Amino acid sequence: MNRIGAEAAVFTRSVYLQYIALFQWATLRGYIGYKVLLPVTQILFFVELGVYGTGRQNALYFALGNALQVTAQAGLYGTIATVANERHFGTLPILLASPANRLVTFLSRAIVNVLDGIVTVLFGLGVTVVVFGLDLHHANLWLLGICVLLISLTTAGLGLLFGSLGLIMRDAITIANVVYYLLLVLCGINFPINRLPGAVQVISYGLPLTRGVDAARQAAAGASIDHVAGLLVGELVVGALYALCGYTLFRWLESHARRGGLQDAY
Amino acid sequence: MRLRAVSAFAILAWLFFPFIFAVVGLYVFARPGAANPQLIYGILGGGLIGYWGVAYLDGGLTIQDERWNGTLEQVFAVPTPLWVILLGKVCGSILWGMLSFVPTVAVAYFGFHALVPHLDSVRFAVSFAVLTFSLLTIALALAPLYALWRWALPMFNGFEFGFCILGGFMFPVTLLPGWAQGVAGALAPTWATRALYASTTSSGPHDFALWWLAAAGLSVLYLAGALFLYRLVDRRARMTGELALA
Repeated sequence: MNRIGAEAAVFTRSVYLQYIALFQWATLRGYIGYKVLLPVTQILFFVELGVYGTGRQNALYFALGNALQVTAQAGLYGTIATVANERHFGTLPILLASPANRLVTFLSRAIVNVLDGIVTVLFGLGVTVVVFGLDLHHANLWLLGICVLLISLTTAGLGLLFGSLGLIMRDAITIANVVYYLLLVLCGINFPINRLPGAVQVISYGLPLTRGVDAARQAAAGASIDHVAGLLVGELVVGALYALCGYTLFRWLESHARRGGLQDAY
Repeated sequence: MRLRAVSAFAILAWLFFPFIFAVVGLYVFARPGAANPQLIYGILGGGLIGYWGVAYLDGGLTIQDERWNGTLEQVFAVPTPLWVILLGKVCGSILWGMLSFVPTVAVAYFGFHALVPHLDSVRFAVSFAVLTFSLLTIALALAPLYALWRWALPMFNGFEFGFCILGGFMFPVTLLPGWAQGVAGALAPTWATRALYASTTSSGPHDFALWWLAAAGLSVLYLAGALFLYRLVDRRARMTGELALA
C-alpha cells in the first residue's frame, strides 16, 4: 500500500511539474492563438467547405466531426511536445538518471494534455452549438461526455507513442503535424470512411478517433450506450495499445540513448 | 532554397499539407460519374493553401530564422542592404511554395481522374503571377512583424484556417456573411485567387482587370507597411540592440 501511495505521489508530482515546466506555450496569447482561434477557424473552414460541396443540410456533420477532432491538438501536439521537449530543453539526462518509476513518469505526461483536450473539445462543441445551432436536446449528453473523455485519452495514447520518437528525433513536432492532418482524412471527420479505399479503411480502424467520432455522432443523435458500446470498447483498446507501444518504445529508446550517449545530443 | 530542401517543415508545407487538403476537398466535392463545377476548388485549393502557408510562415520567418540561428547581427553588419537579403530569402521560399500545386494536381488526376476544365491559360498565368506578387509582399511585410512582436506568430498561426476562409482558397468568399467578405476584401490574395478560379470557368463574373488591380494595389500597400516596419527593425537592431534578445 505504501508503494502504491509513493507511486501515486510521484505521479501527481510529475503531472504538476511537467505542466509547470513543459507547457511553455500556455501564455494568454499562446492560448488564444492555439486553443481559441485555431479550433474555431478549423471548424468554420471545414463547415463552409462542406456546405459548399454538399449543401447546408450537412453543416452539422462537418461541425461535429471537427469539433471532436480538435481534441487531437492537445492529445498529439501537447503530448508529443511534453515527451520530446525533455530532450529539447536538455533535461533528458536528468530524467533518465532519476530512480522514478518509468511507467508512472511516462503516463503522467498525458494527463494535463487529456484535460486540456477535453476543454478544447468542449469549446469546439460550444462553438458548434452557438454558431451552427447543433441541437443537443435529444442527445445522450452523458454518453457524448464519455466519448469526449475517451477520444482525449486515446489521442493522448497516440501522442505518447510518437512523443517517444522525440527522444531520438530533432523535430518531433513535425510528426505531430503529419499525424494530426492525416487524422482529418482517415478518421471520418469530413466524409465517411467507407468512401476510402479498402486498405486505407483498415488503417482508419487502427487509429484512435475513428470509432470515437462515430460513437459521438450517434450519441449526439440520441443513441444509448448499448448501441455504441462496441465502438467505445474498440476505441479504448486502440488507445491503450498505442500507449503500450509508446511505453515499450520509450524504454527501448531510453536504453538506446544510454548506450549511444545520445541523451543530450541535439 | 538549399536550406528549404532539407527542412522537414518546408517539405511538409509544400508537399504534405497541400496533399491532405486536396484529398479532403476532392472527397467532399467529387461526385462519381458527374461533372462538378466545384471540383476545381478541390484540385487547386490544396495548392493555394500550401502556397499561402509557405509565404506567411516560411517566408515570414526570414528574420526570425536569423535570430534563432544567432546570425542576426551578421546580417545587419554586412554591407548588403537588409531588404536585398530578405528579398532573396523570401523569393527562395516562394519558389518552393509553387511546388504546392504538384501534389494536388497529381492526387486529383491519379486519385480522382479530375482535370482542370476550361482553362484560359493567359488569364490563369497572369492571375498566378499577381497571386505570387501578393504572397511575396505579404511575406516581406510579415517578416519584420514577427521579429518585432512575438505575439504575432501564434496569432497568425492560430488564424491559419481563418486566412484560408477569407482567401477563398477552397470555396468562394461569396459564401461568407457580408462583413466577412468586407474583411476578405482587404487581403490581396483573395482577389488574385478569385481571378485564378474565374480563369478556369466560363460562367460567372470575369472582371479580371479589376481583380488584378485590387490585388496589386493592396500588395503595394503591404510593401509600404513593410518599409515602415523594416525601419523599426533596423532601429531596434542597430540603435537599441534589443532585437537579438527579444
